Parts: sequence; C-alpha cells; structure tokens
Amino acid sequence: MSNFTIKKVLVEEGARKRAFTDEVLSRLPGIPVQHVKDITSATVSDELDMGKDTLHLLSYKGEFLKPCPGTREYICCGYQILNVATNCPINCSYCILQSYFNQPNLRVFANLDEKIDQVLKEIDSKPECIFRVGTGEFTDSLAIDSITCWSDLLVPRFSERKNAVLELKTKTTQIDRLVAGKYRDRIIVSWSLNSPYISAHEEHKAASLKKRLEAARQCQSEGFVLGFHFDPLIPHPNWKDEYLRTIELMDKYVDPKRIIWISLGSFRFMPGLKPIIRRRHPGSCVLDGEFITGLDGKMRYFKPIRIALYKFMRENLEKWHQNLGLYLCMESDDVWQKSLGWSPRNSIGLRSYLDRRVVEIFG
Amino acid sequence: MGIPKITPIESQLVNPNKIEDFPGPYCMSFGFDIRPLAQSIDRVGLVNCPLLIENKNAELTVIVGYRRIHALKTLGWDRIPCGVLSESEVSPLECLLLNLYDNLATRKLNEVEKGMVLNRLHSQVQGKEILELYMPLLELPSNESALLFFIKLEQELDREIKEYLIQKKISLQTAKMLLKMEPDERSHAFNFMSNIKFNINQQKQFIDNIIDLVLIENKPAHELLNEPSLKGILVNKQLNNPQKAKAILKLLRGRRFPSLVKAEKAFKKKVSSLDLPKSASIHAPPYFEEPHYRLEVLFREGKELRETINRLNLTEGLDKLGDPWEKDV
Repeated sequence: MSNFTIKKVLVEEGARKRAFTDEVLSRLPGIPVQHVKDITSATVSDELDMGKDTLHLLSYKGEFLKPCPGTREYICCGYQILNVATNCPINCSYCILQSYFNQPNLRVFANLDEKIDQVLKEIDSKPECIFRVGTGEFTDSLAIDSITCWSDLLVPRFSERKNAVLELKTKTTQIDRLVAGKYRDRIIVSWSLNSPYISAHEEHKAASLKKRLEAARQCQSEGFVLGFHFDPLIPHPNWKDEYLRTIELMDKYVDPKRIIWISLGSFRFMPGLKPIIRRRHPGSCVLDGEFITGLDGKMRYFKPIRIALYKFMRENLEKWHQNLGLYLCMESDDVWQKSLGWSPRNSIGLRSYLDRRVVEIFG
Repeated sequence: MGIPKITPIESQLVNPNKIEDFPGPYCMSFGFDIRPLAQSIDRVGLVNCPLLIENKNAELTVIVGYRRIHALKTLGWDRIPCGVLSESEVSPLECLLLNLYDNLATRKLNEVEKGMVLNRLHSQVQGKEILELYMPLLELPSNESALLFFIKLEQELDREIKEYLIQKKISLQTAKMLLKMEPDERSHAFNFMSNIKFNINQQKQFIDNIIDLVLIENKPAHELLNEPSLKGILVNKQLNNPQKAKAILKLLRGRRFPSLVKAEKAFKKKVSSLDLPKSASIHAPPYFEEPHYRLEVLFREGKELRETINRLNLTEGLDKLGDPWEKDV
C-alpha cells in the first residue's frame, strides 16, 4: 500500500464511468469521493498543502506523449514525457511543480488506458527512432503506483518494444508491483538522489537515501536496469563531504555495471518559484546560493559554481566506476567541456549519446 | 447583495462633535488632502449632505461623506446638515456598499483604500463574490493572492509605509516585499530605505538582498542594517543620497553574490591591465553566462579600423584573457 495518505478523491465528469476510475476507487475504500463538473467547481485546497492528499481523477485532453520542455539555449537530452499525472505527494522544497502548474491536487489522468495505444502507435510508427520515455517529470512515477497501478499498464507494453525504453523515476520505495511483475526488458527504474543533508531537510515525505538505495538494490537484483539523477545538485555547507556520502552509499548498495545513466543538474527555477518556496518552506536552504538569470530566463547558479558541482560529482562518480553514462541536464557546451571534459556539443549529440547507452544496455 | 435605494431623506442639523471622528466601519478614506474640499465648501457651500447612521445609544457613524464632515469640522461649522438613518433601516453591509458605490462614482480609490474595502467586505461577503464582483470593480485582478495581498496591506503595514505607497514613494511591489518581512524587521528596513530615498528599482534590490541575507546569514535585519559598513555609508557626509544608495546596494550585492562580484572585479582588472587601443573595449556577457566575450571597436573609417586591429594584434596579454574564475574551479 502507498505510504502517502489520500484523504479525498475528486472525480471529474470526464473520469466517471471509466474502468480506471472504478479500480482506483476500489483501492481506496472509505475515502470520501466527490463528483465534480470541472476543477472550478471543486474545492480548491489550501495553497500551502497544494492538495497533496487529494486525488483528482480527470480525463486529460492534451497529448500524452510530449518532448521534455527543454530550451534551445542549453543542451537537452530529448526525453519524451508520458504525461500520466501532474503534481506529486512528496513535498520537496525545491520542486518546480509548485509554480509550474496552477492547479492543486494529485491530478491523475483516468483516460491513460484509452490513450496509451495511441502513444504506442506513434512509437511504433518510427522504428528508426529510440524513444526514451519517462513518467517522472510532472509527478513521481511510483509514489501512488499501489493506487493507480500504472506499472501494470505500462511496463508490459514498453517491455515488448524494441525502439523504446520506459524510465520510472522515483524518490520512494514503492516497487512492489514492479518487482512482482515478470517484465524487465527495456524498463529503467531510476532514483533521484541528493546529499543526505538535502534529502533529510528538503525532500519532505520522500524515502531516506538509504531506503531508496535498498529499493534500487532490490530492483537490480530482480534484473532491472537502474538510472540515477542528481538533480538538483545544491551547494550547501559541507556539500562535498555530503555528496561523497551519497556516492559511498551507492557503492554499498548498487552494482555500477547495470546503471544506464546518471544525470547531473543544478537547481534552476522560474523566478516565480522563489516566493512560493519562501512561503511554503520557511527555513529551506535551497535559495541561499548565488543565482543569476540564465539564458532561458530561469534562475540558475553562477557558472563556476555549477562547474565545480559537476566536476566534483564526475570525479568521484568515475572513481567508483568509469562507465556510468554521466550526462548534464540543461547545460551549455562550455560547462560540459569544463566539468565533464567532453561535450556532445548540442541536443542532437546528447540524444545520440543517450540512445547509444540504450543500445549498449538493452541491445 | 442589493444596495438599498435611499429615497430622499430630509436632512437634519447635526452637531459635528457627536459624529465619530474616524472613518469607522463603512468609510474608506486614507491619505487625502482635505484642503481642496474645504476650499470648495467654503466657496459654494455643501452640495451633498453626508449620510449617517444612528445606533440605539444615539451614537452617529458616517456612512457616506467622511471627508466632507472632516472638511466642515476644519471650517468650524457647528451644525452640519446630514441625512440620518436608523439601524433598523439599513444593514451594516448595505452601509458599506452605499459608501463603496458613492466613492467609486466620484473618484479612484488608492491602494490602501482598496485594501480597506476588501477588508471590510471580507468579513461580510463570501470570498467568491469578492473575487467575481468586487475585485473587478476595484480594477484589481480576480485572484485569491491579490485579495490576500490587499487585505494584508491594509491590516499589517504601518501608517507611514502606507503613506509612502500612496504618495508613490514606494511601489506596490516594494510594499509586497516589505509585507514578507516580520513587522519589526520591516520597520527597520523601511526606516533605512526612507533615509536613503532609493528609487523604485533600487528599493526592490535592497529588500531582496536584505531578505536573502537575513536568511542566509541567520542574522536579524536590524543587526544587519546596523553594521558599521552600512551605517558608515549612511552617515558619510561626502556622499549625496544617490551615491549612498549606489554604495549600499554595491555592498549588499557583494555580500549576496560574492563569487559573481569577485569574478566581475577580476575581469575588470584584467581588462584594464591590457594596453587596449582607446577605441576598443572588451565586455563580459551578463553574469558570464554566455560563453563569448565581446570586443567593441569604434571607428570612423576603414583605415582607423585597420590601425586599431593592428594595435590589438600587438596587445600583450590578450591570449590570457578568459573566464576570471578559471584558477578557482
């Protein structure tokens, strides 16, 4: 069962009488259900809790498969987002979703089962392309898997495709359904990691680093390929020792040979997020750094600070293992060169690099 | 909520001393200059009578005409013609709406007055109705955060800050930022700011840096603002106000962005150590974020350009120009 408490369910008209909705409601016995016409007629949750305990089922009218909203000013990995839900029950102080979506609640798209065939059709129509697909951009991929059973729906379908991989990105230990299933091929289970300090102080309701890595070990021993994401890296007092501790933990729990990639990204945010973090997370240290306005209009650390973060992580991760598929998320060519010692030069280059990793690992 | 249509009420002469001397629960007047109104009444007399409400204890509260009563008191009238309603005739909300619509028909409300309106409405009207009906009437965006901001603005800001706001000495954004500070801290920051007379843009930078430094250095604002380095600028008689403002912001920026400021200084120093031709200059990109630096050459004709390029070619140290933090990374 999920560790996250759902106190209320809102069902929009478009989600009613759907098999998915009925199944979700059957997994939440005794939880009050409110049928609403649309979001405006639903009770808007308290701004501070953002409705993290309200499950909102609706029919999503937009595209389910979308390219990651990278900007052309920085090198983007060309990831495809499978949009299964927005918002997240975990409460990280730095989470960009706090300002990214203007609607509260855990908004789960009840028509995914109907639309997934369309998504797969699109993937199948381009056999020459490799689709690196993930559900963990706008929500946590596994946090409410025991309620939504997304893994039951998605994993078998992606596992049988030769030109796609599905990455399930999480900060939780909700892997039961995943490991109970029989599918392993072309599925990547990824964990977002940070320093023990940031994890304990800024990633509220997320599993501890140790628990995340124990879950990773279990997945690896069950035959899953792993990915890791150090994003956002945040300089804080003693950050070098702190991040080293995380790498030591990784060494303790995980075999580096079956890691497909490890991404590094530094904290960046739209300026509008700052007052939200101040209000929702007083005492947070994530805004303490030296932020400048980046070329994409987002706030990001002054360049030498970013380079120092990446360079340190690269040096120490590569001491652990040389072939980890390290890459930078939304960085410029010169930052790549100065911190990783090479650069894919542009987004096309980075896509090719990551696609090659997929071929190396999965064939 | 309908507004009662007040049928003509026969006015009666009221002793001004019996009328409460503050705006009360229905009036929304803040920061006005009474002189033009007093002059007008003095010249042509009182055209419209104020409207009052009388409670069970015969106490009179102004519904409409607070400024007129204030002006008449200033002019020394000992009897004021007023319409007087009893509590049984109108509800408090009706009184409030009478005042609101009377004001909206004749003038623009300032930000503090808008806050007064919303505060008063908030206790009597559903939030949804305020957002949908009254926010547009007040020419404000119909959203919850704007509503809360104006309510807080009226409730929490000191009178002096409110006065600065309506006199446009501080912007609405500055007021918003000040509201994020604890009352005591806000008062210190505001006093400091009003001594220096920052322009609107500088106010934002000042408060932004103060709020950040208070949190980063875990030091209360008053302690920060009383540090000798800042105080020294404040009392420096060699500097005028704009110079003081610049010096203070420079100091705070250096503290908030130490690596950036260090890099800017190092780059500037490096460039000025080069013996560049006078018509050539080298600039760093904003925050050093773009990878390229910019060389600018001013010339009137090609010959002059060629001479500058030749001199640049011979300039020593150019090949050592680069990211000023290289040795630190």
